[in-house]
Amino acid sequence: MSNVLDVENVTVRFGGVTAVSNASFHVSKGDLLGFIGPNGAGKTTMMRVITGVVTAQEGSVRLEGKDLAGLSINQRIRSGLALAQQIVQPLRDMSLLDNVALACGVSKTSNALKSMFLMDRSVERKRALELLDMVGLAESADAMPATLPLGFLKRLEVARALALEPRLLLLDEPLAGLNQSEAKGLADLIKSLNENGQTILLIEHNLREVMRICPLLYVQDNGRSLAFGPAKDVMANKDVRRAYLGGTE
Amino acid sequence: MAYEMTLITTMAISVLFALSLNFISGFCGQISLGHAAFLGTGAYTSAMMTKASIPFLLTLPAAAITAAILGFIIGLTSLRVRHDFLAITTMGTGFLFVGLIRQQEFFGGEIGIAGIPSTGLGREGFMALCIGLAALFAIFSIRVRRSWMGFVYDSIADNEDITRILGINASTYKLIAFVIGTATAGVAGALYAHHFRFIGPDSFGFVESMSVLAMVIVGGIGSTAGVIVSAAVMSVMPLLFQFIDDYKLLLYSALLFFMMRFSPDGLAGLCSRTYDKIRRRRA
Amino acid sequence: MLYVELTIQGIVQGSIYALIALGLTLVYGLLRILHVAHAALFTLGGYIGVIVTNQTGSLTLAIVAAAIIVGLVGMAVYKLAYEPLLSQPPYIALIASIALFIASEELYRIIFGPYGLSYTVQPMSGHIELFDGFRLKYVEILVISMSVVILSVLGYLSLHSRMGIAWRATVTDPSMAQAFGVNIQNVRYLNFFIGSALAAIAGVLVALLNNFVEPTMGSVASYKALAIIVLGGLGSIRGTLLAAMLLGVIESFGTIYLGHLIDRDALAFAFLILVLMVRPQGLLGAK
Repeated sequence: MSNVLDVENVTVRFGGVTAVSNASFHVSKGDLLGFIGPNGAGKTTMMRVITGVVTAQEGSVRLEGKDLAGLSINQRIRSGLALAQQIVQPLRDMSLLDNVALACGVSKTSNALKSMFLMDRSVERKRALELLDMVGLAESADAMPATLPLGFLKRLEVARALALEPRLLLLDEPLAGLNQSEAKGLADLIKSLNENGQTILLIEHNLREVMRICPLLYVQDNGRSLAFGPAKDVMANKDVRRAYLGGTE
Repeated sequence: MAYEMTLITTMAISVLFALSLNFISGFCGQISLGHAAFLGTGAYTSAMMTKASIPFLLTLPAAAITAAILGFIIGLTSLRVRHDFLAITTMGTGFLFVGLIRQQEFFGGEIGIAGIPSTGLGREGFMALCIGLAALFAIFSIRVRRSWMGFVYDSIADNEDITRILGINASTYKLIAFVIGTATAGVAGALYAHHFRFIGPDSFGFVESMSVLAMVIVGGIGSTAGVIVSAAVMSVMPLLFQFIDDYKLLLYSALLFFMMRFSPDGLAGLCSRTYDKIRRRRA
Repeated sequence: MLYVELTIQGIVQGSIYALIALGLTLVYGLLRILHVAHAALFTLGGYIGVIVTNQTGSLTLAIVAAAIIVGLVGMAVYKLAYEPLLSQPPYIALIASIALFIASEELYRIIFGPYGLSYTVQPMSGHIELFDGFRLKYVEILVISMSVVILSVLGYLSLHSRMGIAWRATVTDPSMAQAFGVNIQNVRYLNFFIGSALAAIAGVLVALLNNFVEPTMGSVASYKALAIIVLGGLGSIRGTLLAAMLLGVIESFGTIYLGHLIDRDALAFAFLILVLMVRPQGLLGAK
């Protein structure tokens, strides 16, 4: 059992509405798990349970066996989670390089008082440049985020998350808002990251790209787990077909 | 010479006070509309102590500590409320401070504390102390800005939520900014009390809080050099020109308004933009 | 009997707070700006009220003139000061607003003189005697009844008139409202006009209560009104009205029972900070 993430019997209710109901899945080391579901499936809510923005009424979320309940988001990140958000939020007053370098410096920022005496940023900047190169942004390293198109900023989110050297990389709709070729490019990048050993949970709407790159799928509909397993089996599942085809008819 | 020394001492104290707010609002991005309360806390602490015959220099750390305790509490509220709510909470703190002091006989009530003893350092010595402390804190500020702590502050000022997503405990960093900034304001307050030898509740009211914020913003929020220049100039302008003193508030507020309206990043921003323009024209 | 008296005092004060704070809430709900300079408009209303009454002898005319002139000034403030700052971080507009407020206090001092003005003949100066020598001034009755009437009419209009519906839609979701053909710019102007006119009326009423206007009469009101809308949960109209009344009453009791500890004006903030620590979103604020 080398599960990186265990989500077990998670239920979330807002007032009278049940957003997620008894959902379970897990991500093993080295997996690239695609998390899909039609609109209103509770994907965002599940995501927020994992990051700690929303508290689940029932069930548990464990990262490498460690229960995340009660931890703040920064503690979760330090436990080995990293997040690339759907809505890109670069630090606007810093170059791309510094955006990533700050994330590379997690060990230097862990003790606030000590950080006052640490001046050198060269190691982190060097590492940041490597990461930007990996996501194809090396040439824009010194640019300010405001000057760049969405596709670039999506990649920046990924680079910044990778800088944290996470056990689990959480990608929240990284392809949303991108055109077809941009989406394909970023999906290829995700796939190659996984091939290099990065464990990834990919929450995504773009079924076509998910099917292309994810060997494993988890499907949620109306807050319920519909299917979980190898992509082929999942897509052959009757409930899954009904959820998707029923939704588009 | 005595008059010039008074002016320079006033400048140095204002610079120290403005830099202390710059640490909180400029570096860490937490706007405070009640910073004079910390100046006041330091001033009252120190004045009460020297009046009880405690040597002035010993009152400086005490002033820093009492102000920092109050600052820590306000810092805690900043973890709970943000942005506009925080601005109003800090403003409320300022009013609360004045409202409390005013009703306490112990602190001299409405009248304040007069006859604060001399520091025993002499005019030159006291001036040197003020300049020294202001310079020291300026150097410290510049260093912090370049350190990893400053890097984190840039990030918090920009987007606190993202800072947390980068695994950084933004709360601790914010509290440290409040403690350092308010402790320094407390020291400035101790100097203030012994410079003017008289303090009252009105010395630390909303107008004072706004004046210091004006200094920081006109200088260019976050820019240590800009804040030093604007605090030095703005603190002595009313003393140099009597007619300015009558219209001090009108002038300051108009300046502040037009700065916000046309150059929200202050003199520092104005300078760097002008510099860029000139350079581009030459190139 | 003291309790009844204190409560009524509180309600009178609360009505004034409500009139002032409502304008602030309207601005915050629409633009997310803490409009401190609102209190400058309140003061301007007080001055216009006294000057027009003294010139013409008609209080009614004075109220109407104050409301219209100040309403227009409010629109100008939006156009010249806030509109250009909407894309900046919110504290920029807040500081600009505070600066504007302090500058206008100074301007009033220069224009109208530092010592304030009074009515030559104070209108509505009598009172009625209720019981046990308990007096209610005509002015106090006027304050309460005007607030009730104005607020009910506005409440009705916001629910039933075309403009009211457009206004509520804009507050809820500006881009959606725009998609439905609402002219956002007009809604904002109207918002500033109404909010400022209310502040002006409050100014005239306060001038009546005290028979006095002075350049700094807005100081306390401005910060307190801010405290009220923050208490009410920023942008919540019902919360604002509740907080205004509550604060009025708490102050009138607090002055008696806590006056030796803390002065009246600081009480509002003590209450504010206390509430914010327990409910960071205000009394009736969402989320």
